[in-house]
Amino acid sequence: MITTTLHSRKLLLVTGKGGTGKTTLSAALGRLAAERGRRTIVVEIDNFQPSLTAIFGRAPVYEPARVAPNLDVCNITWREALTEWLERTVPAQRLVKLILEHKTVQTFLDATPGARETMVLSRLLTLTEQYDQVIVDMPASGHAVSVLRVPHVAVSLMPGGPVGKRASEVLRLFKSGTTGLIIVALPEEMVVNETIELWEKLHHEVPELPRPTVVLNRAASPSLSDDERRLISRLGGLGLQGPAAELLLSGQWEADLEVATAEAITRLGAEVGAGLIVLPRLGSLGGFEGGPEKVVRQLAAALQRQALAERAP
Amino acid sequence: MTLGDIIRSNRLVICVGSGGVGKTTSSAALALRAAREGRKVIVLTIDPARRLANSLGLKRFGNDEARIDLSALPDAKGELWAMMLDNRKTFDDLIARLSPDEAARDSILHNRIYRAIADNIAGSQDYMATEKLYDLVLGGRYDLVILDTPPVKNALDFLDAPGRLARFLDKGVMKWFLSTQDPGRVMGRFLMGTSAVLFKLLSYIFGEEFLGELREFFVAFRDLYDGMRERHEAVVKLFHDPRTAFLVVSAPTSPSLDVARFFLEELRSRGMRNPGVIVNQRHRVSDTPLDPAGLLGALAADQSADLGPHTAAQVLARLGAAHRRLRELSQIEAGLVAELERSLTRVQQRWEVPRLPGEVHDLASLNAVGDALFAAR
Repeated sequence: MITTTLHSRKLLLVTGKGGTGKTTLSAALGRLAAERGRRTIVVEIDNFQPSLTAIFGRAPVYEPARVAPNLDVCNITWREALTEWLERTVPAQRLVKLILEHKTVQTFLDATPGARETMVLSRLLTLTEQYDQVIVDMPASGHAVSVLRVPHVAVSLMPGGPVGKRASEVLRLFKSGTTGLIIVALPEEMVVNETIELWEKLHHEVPELPRPTVVLNRAASPSLSDDERRLISRLGGLGLQGPAAELLLSGQWEADLEVATAEAITRLGAEVGAGLIVLPRLGSLGGFEGGPEKVVRQLAAALQRQALAERAP
Repeated sequence: MTLGDIIRSNRLVICVGSGGVGKTTSSAALALRAAREGRKVIVLTIDPARRLANSLGLKRFGNDEARIDLSALPDAKGELWAMMLDNRKTFDDLIARLSPDEAARDSILHNRIYRAIADNIAGSQDYMATEKLYDLVLGGRYDLVILDTPPVKNALDFLDAPGRLARFLDKGVMKWFLSTQDPGRVMGRFLMGTSAVLFKLLSYIFGEEFLGELREFFVAFRDLYDGMRERHEAVVKLFHDPRTAFLVVSAPTSPSLDVARFFLEELRSRGMRNPGVIVNQRHRVSDTPLDPAGLLGALAADQSADLGPHTAAQVLARLGAAHRRLRELSQIEAGLVAELERSLTRVQQRWEVPRLPGEVHDLASLNAVGDALFAAR
């Protein structure tokens, strides 16, 4: 059910600890939605060095650009979001120009708490009106929370103006049931800890958002029998040196990963219940095989299989 | 130059890089090594894992400087301290320190705009990290401060620190804002005209209520500004100090190395001293295939007497396959690192740190990471 639900969301926000594969997963979700015929856009937020570049072979800019049938990408840069926002909010073109040419006012708009984020989120809202699905590669954990908290703060600080009004529209979208939130995790103890902390923090600080779905990425499926694991562990206890130790270590790493995956599934499952999706590890020990685009395709296929498996009784 | 040399000769070391590359662990491990050698060190982290805190014997990191018990390492000659940045508290402390009296302090602390800022709504975290640096580095209580910065997308704000928030508090903005509220004091009709129009626009955009509150905030803040700017300028100077080094930390993966290259370029263009890149979690294996049966066949048979009939054979086959996969990965990594090297200058280095088995869960394993870092070349 859970994977299918994700596909039906209008807005999908993807966050998680750094290095967990947020960008790759966002791209895979985008690829999948587009292949199902939905008009889709994958979005980065004000990234100096857009991570999607390596995947789609072109650097996303503010204006959406087509990278595949039904699939666009963009990078919501703050300054352009501001310009667009002013153009739709301020009654006269001449006044927009006045603001954009005044350095002090620019600084003011850039740094007024909540203004910048509201304008970026406002752009996201506009995109949801133009696409069937908008997938956002959000900043890492803590920073994602501070961005997502902004609409609430803006509504309470700026109730009288269009910033506040737009922020309340963003909140409405968050609450509408058409927004989905994903935390990407890895089968590593520290990452699982941070995922659980983030899960709770998001619930407390951005109650408008639905409970997140956790995607456990790079999971190693169990392939060793108990006896095989036992033997590897016994050999590990012999204090071997040289090539024998190296050979053993490579097996131990894979065995450890299987154990870590089982532990992560147990701990995350206890915390998030049904909201857990497990995606297999691609390539060996995290190495890219055939470049990032191929990884995205494989990941999309894994998501697809997951959705099909859910539909089966 | 080794990382040991860098840790010994600097007063401030700032670790930057993308998330999930072992930046926090490396920072703590370097700090621990420096403490063992006799320096008084503090590691300041922004968003640490609780596990790392536990490995240092702390329940969790707090905003107070906590001394780490090193008695488990009898050869430790110095002191290791650790703390985590608590944004709100650091900001409140700063306001208290700079306020001329209690009334001035409270009028800021109770302002709703201030509270939103202190809660890191406008990215004040970077500002507060620099504020804390001022305190720790220039306070003279430590020989060495190691700072673990937040992950990449925000780290640029940090290098520009105090960046966005400082621009907001900038005297020019504040002065302009307050003067538009008080047109009698503005000289010249033209300026008054433009400013009046812009101000009207801002009240339209943000609402009267917000601007009223903002005015109160600026008025209360006006007297503190010089104190803050002074501290900020001292930290910017510190970033360019010859005894400050930026270390880029990366994993041997393509996205992480892209970020590393980006940092190399940014640090270079800002004229900040960057001796090199730490490439963590590098998988090191021999170039040639290993023969599982020849190397481990007898031992495996010996150790599996009480296990299932095919266990030894299965494990040997698995080890061979795992080693082959690891070799492939290692080759991919070697290519990526070679590519990175081409973007280094002659004075920049890269240190490859092998991936160690297991996770860091106590002082001993953190110390092992420190050893690996110091041995890296």
